[in-house]
Amino acid sequence: MSHPVLKRKENILAYFSVWAIVAVLHALILVGNQHLEWSWAVRDSLVFNTLFSAFALGIWYTCQYTSPATTPTNKILLTHVFAATLVILMWLGAGYYIMMKTLPPDHAYGQFLRTSLIWRTAVGLLLYIVMIAFYYMFIYAENLHKQELREAELQTLVKDAELRSLKFQINPHFIFNSLNSIYSLTMTAPQKAGEMTTKLSDFLRYSLTKSESQTSSLREEIRSVRTYLEIERVRFGDKIRYSENIDEACLQASVPSMLLQPLFENAIKHGVYESLEPVPISFSCSPQNDFLRIVVENTFDPEATGRKGEGIGLQNIRYRLQKLYNRTDLLDISKKDNLFRVSIKIPVEA
Amino acid sequence: MTEPIKAIIVDDEAPAREVIKTYLQDFPEIQLAAECDNGFEAVKRVQQEKPHLLFLDIQMPKLTGFELLELLEDPPVVIFSTAYDQFALKAFEVSAADYLLKPYTKERFRKAVHRAMKSLGNPLTARKVARDVLQHRQEMQPYLERVVAKDEDSIFIIPVEKLYWLEAQGDYVMLHTKDGRFLKQQTMNYFENHLDPGLFVRIHRSHIVKLNIIKQLQQLGKETYRVVLQNGQHLPVSKSGRVRLKKLLGGTAR
Repeated sequence: MSHPVLKRKENILAYFSVWAIVAVLHALILVGNQHLEWSWAVRDSLVFNTLFSAFALGIWYTCQYTSPATTPTNKILLTHVFAATLVILMWLGAGYYIMMKTLPPDHAYGQFLRTSLIWRTAVGLLLYIVMIAFYYMFIYAENLHKQELREAELQTLVKDAELRSLKFQINPHFIFNSLNSIYSLTMTAPQKAGEMTTKLSDFLRYSLTKSESQTSSLREEIRSVRTYLEIERVRFGDKIRYSENIDEACLQASVPSMLLQPLFENAIKHGVYESLEPVPISFSCSPQNDFLRIVVENTFDPEATGRKGEGIGLQNIRYRLQKLYNRTDLLDISKKDNLFRVSIKIPVEA
Repeated sequence: MTEPIKAIIVDDEAPAREVIKTYLQDFPEIQLAAECDNGFEAVKRVQQEKPHLLFLDIQMPKLTGFELLELLEDPPVVIFSTAYDQFALKAFEVSAADYLLKPYTKERFRKAVHRAMKSLGNPLTARKVARDVLQHRQEMQPYLERVVAKDEDSIFIIPVEKLYWLEAQGDYVMLHTKDGRFLKQQTMNYFENHLDPGLFVRIHRSHIVKLNIIKQLQQLGKETYRVVLQNGQHLPVSKSGRVRLKKLLGGTAR
């Protein structure tokens, strides 16, 4: 921590201005109360206040190295008893020496100076305490400020990390099964194996690129979803019955990237995968007031076990929407008979 | 000429079955008896065909490869396959089973088949391996979510939520459920270890009961207790069973 006074010119000016006021008061008291001559009162005030204001700058270092947050109390006390004694002795010694050096012999001021040493000690102690109070206050404010900065920084970091972790992550199961499908196609239909490889590459590339950015256009998202479903269709064949109904007006809208992917993955996992019959998956998107309304529906087998309420995919979507738009009413999930339905509202940015 | 080796492929994905079929062309001694795209059908076909060799995928709809294996009384030699199931992989690693990671090469497939053919003559080995795999599999994922059982002509998938209480019957366990009673070849110790201890408690050497269907714990004699179930039925409680029960129910039951 740099010196609170010396670090800026303005502070130095302010510091000595305060001392100037103290010096004026000092001189006035000497004249009014002690009936000293003006010339001696001013000289006394100048010498003692200049000396103390200089020593007081050094007191900072005793405070800096005894920060109350990290130093035991007895060490703080000991440091200050020692430092105060030293500062006051040096102050009075130097002041006395300078004044006596310029004093004509037998001048009344000499007597006054000697008797005043007692109360000067008391004043010195008081000034010392005022100074350390000032310094400690400064340290406290500085720490508080630093902590606030740290906290704010941390908050941004946490939010970033949260948003990142809430994002879709490529399911390893999907990758290995797709590779196996490709492998199989290389033997039965090499042409198709090639197509499938490019589709898988397109999908992986999109997922990886989009894991860096927070939003993308709905058009891009839909393209990625279609690619995904085409890949899965190689595995599941006609068990996937996909239909979509997308309003042209929505395509340019900006949506959180990879938001839709988990919905379709769920539809495959819980609908198509657990079923022995074909499963319809429908996807619709339409503008609605200030929102984009996205609905994904699929049938599922209510008898199939393992589905316990809201899975991690949907939970992540919920949190992510909450963090991005600061509202909790954007995701709606309904399960009726054998129909599973997820509806998402995305605020359209004006 | 030796007798052909009968094999069945069980995998829900057509491309995966295709790979095995293609590779099997190199093994004229293996005769493909059936191809199944789901576990239910597989149980039926295995019973009908009594194959020597089973190519078994783990992740399948309705019935997983493990559950299928559990339902086979006299399992054949099994070559497992999986794309990515961490629990399964761990179970395979520590057990004696042979498994193929999809996608796999022809070479790897050949090795697996050769190894399987060596153990064909010994049906005991096959049974032991199956038991070993299932046991490890359960250790990897401690609490059961569902139990599979079968009778003469059907397979039943019983979600743990529907389980009420279990009763030892010789080498079998009678499962009393919401939808009736099912007999399952298994031990009480197995269920005691693999049912969520927060939901089920072993109250007696031959009884495990779901906590939330217990209405009352009754004291009959100085050291004899029994529980009364919601439906009025009662079950005996052993001394150690009472201690466990009291601990779980806290001070509310007496």
